Amino acid sequence: MSDSTTSSKELFGYVAEFESAADLYHAAEKVRDAGFKKWDVHTPYPVHGIDHAMGLGKSWLSAVVLAGGVAGSFTALFLQFFTQVSLYPTVVQNKPTNLFTIPAFFPVTFELTILFAAFSTLFGLLVFIQLPRWNHPLFESELFKKFSDDGFILVIESRDPRFKRDKTKSFLEEIGAGEIEAVVV
Amino acid sequence: MAGLKDSDDYKNGERFKGAGNFGWIALGVGAVATAAFFLIAFADGKTGDGYSMTSCMAFSWLFAVVFFLSIAVGGMFWTLLHHATNSGWGTLVRRLMENLGIMIPVLLFLALPLILPQIGFRDALWEWFEDRAVAESTAEKKADEKKAEYIADIKTKAEKAAGQLAKIEKDKSSQSNITPGVARFYDDQIKSLTEKSEVLAAHANQPEEVLVDELRDKEFKNANALLHAKRDFLQEEFWLLRFGIYILVLGGGMYLLRSTSVRQDKSGDPKLFTKMQVMSCLLLLPFAVAWTFLVFDWLMALDYSWFSTMWGVYLFAGAALNSMGVLILVLSGLRKAGYFADTITKEHYLIMGKLMHAFVIFWAYIAFSQFFLIWYANITEETKFFLTRNTGFWNLYTIIFLVVGHFFIPFIALLIRYNKTTTKIICFIAIWNLLMHFFDIYWIIIAERAPSLTQGAVTHIKGMWMYDLLAFVGVGGIFIFCLLKTLGTASLFPCRDPRLDESLNLTN
Repeated sequence: MSDSTTSSKELFGYVAEFESAADLYHAAEKVRDAGFKKWDVHTPYPVHGIDHAMGLGKSWLSAVVLAGGVAGSFTALFLQFFTQVSLYPTVVQNKPTNLFTIPAFFPVTFELTILFAAFSTLFGLLVFIQLPRWNHPLFESELFKKFSDDGFILVIESRDPRFKRDKTKSFLEEIGAGEIEAVVV
Repeated sequence: MAGLKDSDDYKNGERFKGAGNFGWIALGVGAVATAAFFLIAFADGKTGDGYSMTSCMAFSWLFAVVFFLSIAVGGMFWTLLHHATNSGWGTLVRRLMENLGIMIPVLLFLALPLILPQIGFRDALWEWFEDRAVAESTAEKKADEKKAEYIADIKTKAEKAAGQLAKIEKDKSSQSNITPGVARFYDDQIKSLTEKSEVLAAHANQPEEVLVDELRDKEFKNANALLHAKRDFLQEEFWLLRFGIYILVLGGGMYLLRSTSVRQDKSGDPKLFTKMQVMSCLLLLPFAVAWTFLVFDWLMALDYSWFSTMWGVYLFAGAALNSMGVLILVLSGLRKAGYFADTITKEHYLIMGKLMHAFVIFWAYIAFSQFFLIWYANITEETKFFLTRNTGFWNLYTIIFLVVGHFFIPFIALLIRYNKTTTKIICFIAIWNLLMHFFDIYWIIIAERAPSLTQGAVTHIKGMWMYDLLAFVGVGGIFIFCLLKTLGTASLFPCRDPRLDESLNLTN
């Protein structure tokens, strides 16, 4: 083990750099097939199909957005029907004040649906990706910083049940990683 | 990345070997239905309620032609959009779009019975031809009667003004000791009277024909003010000229695009790719204007007193939505027959499904906005359209087919990704949308038939739906036959397009 860890510090995981997007793509496939769960890739630009190579399933975010949208529709309809039909029937140009008032309520319903859906997208995403947070162990790594320049980075975290200090490192070397850095915090 | 497909492997394209007897069966059914339709239409019969069969069936033919024309025009739109946005996803299906678009000339040809007045369809559909003739002949007659009186009146007015001027001038000169204030008072009066009498004299001194024309125009306005206001637009020669422009822009433009694309299959010249992009950018605006005015001329003018500025985009939304549906159906049919076996993937279906979804929403947005603005403003001239369609039978029809069927059901169904990528389900949704488009166009045209032909006496002419279906089958059969024939005339996809790689390796 080349990395010098002390007993007071813990190994967060390995940061591995790859030559190109294609190398990273194939490495991701192998990591996926090896059964790792707590790992991620970081690239300077979006790589098409990387989610498939990583074996990511469908995000639950869309369900949250749907729930937000439906909640928005019902909020708007309730507010308008309650205030303008049942509480204080508002007659405009002899138009009905019953179920058939609904065309007048559509613009607001539409807007609130969009608004609620947009908010649930943003806040749902923040919850899923655990933001905001003060810091992240990966910021300790010098190698990791290359991902915003020209590095194609793969990170396997030590909390993964399959993570083994030596085995995982040699596994990364095996699948074509260049430089490997152990992140210790 | 490994597993990438190389467009060099596909550079010879894929040829459609014909659909066996299916095309000929379609043609047979279409031709028989069309022949039967015209035989019945020209038999000069009466409907059960005693209305002219020819007039009633004019609406059936317009309905069938517009339904299929909208799909062909949608095909042209997708081609233009694909080039103009520099897209790569759909290069594989672009030839299918082009094939759909090239049906425009066929359908404009099938529209000829509507255009030629001898058939008797034209005047039944668009009352303004007859109303204009009536209004003009009334105006002519009245002008003849009142001519002498009118001219004499103009002359008298001019003479009177000249007399007044002379009197004031005399008055002024008769004043011996004139103060500056009074002089100015006279001068002002002389000035304004001079102007007035000059104008009146100029008017009165015009040749008699000009004055008679003027009178005729006034009488035209008295006879039919709404038509008088639109007299420059709703005019036979201009109307015919516009039809010519539609042929040129929609038919000619599409022909140019498709033939360039087919030429590229052989030469693989990348310059042709750029040329098509430039062509598409230049054609987009004329395309939009041509389609907008086509539906103004053919559909909005069914009731010339009504107008809606959203009409063009409303019809466009339905056209784009359903031609995407037809593209999905044609593609799936071809795949079932073994074509596009290793080229088209779920990713293509996903994109096409997404576009269909987008246009379901766009259609609803436009349709609702049109309704909403008219409903809310409540202006007499505008509400007519929706009054016809929001009462009695048509009210239930609107709610079931247009509100629920055309929007809510496909909207929810297409939200789910699984539905968009599963061929059977997306095909079912496409067919559903086409059915709703059928009801949409039916609602636009046929709801106008009874009120228009009976001057509002009845809202329904019984038993005519059979002939509507007959026309639909007739035009549909011919459409399917021509489409299948066109599929075989070139490779099924632009095989040497520089963007083919991108389309082959599409990921969402």
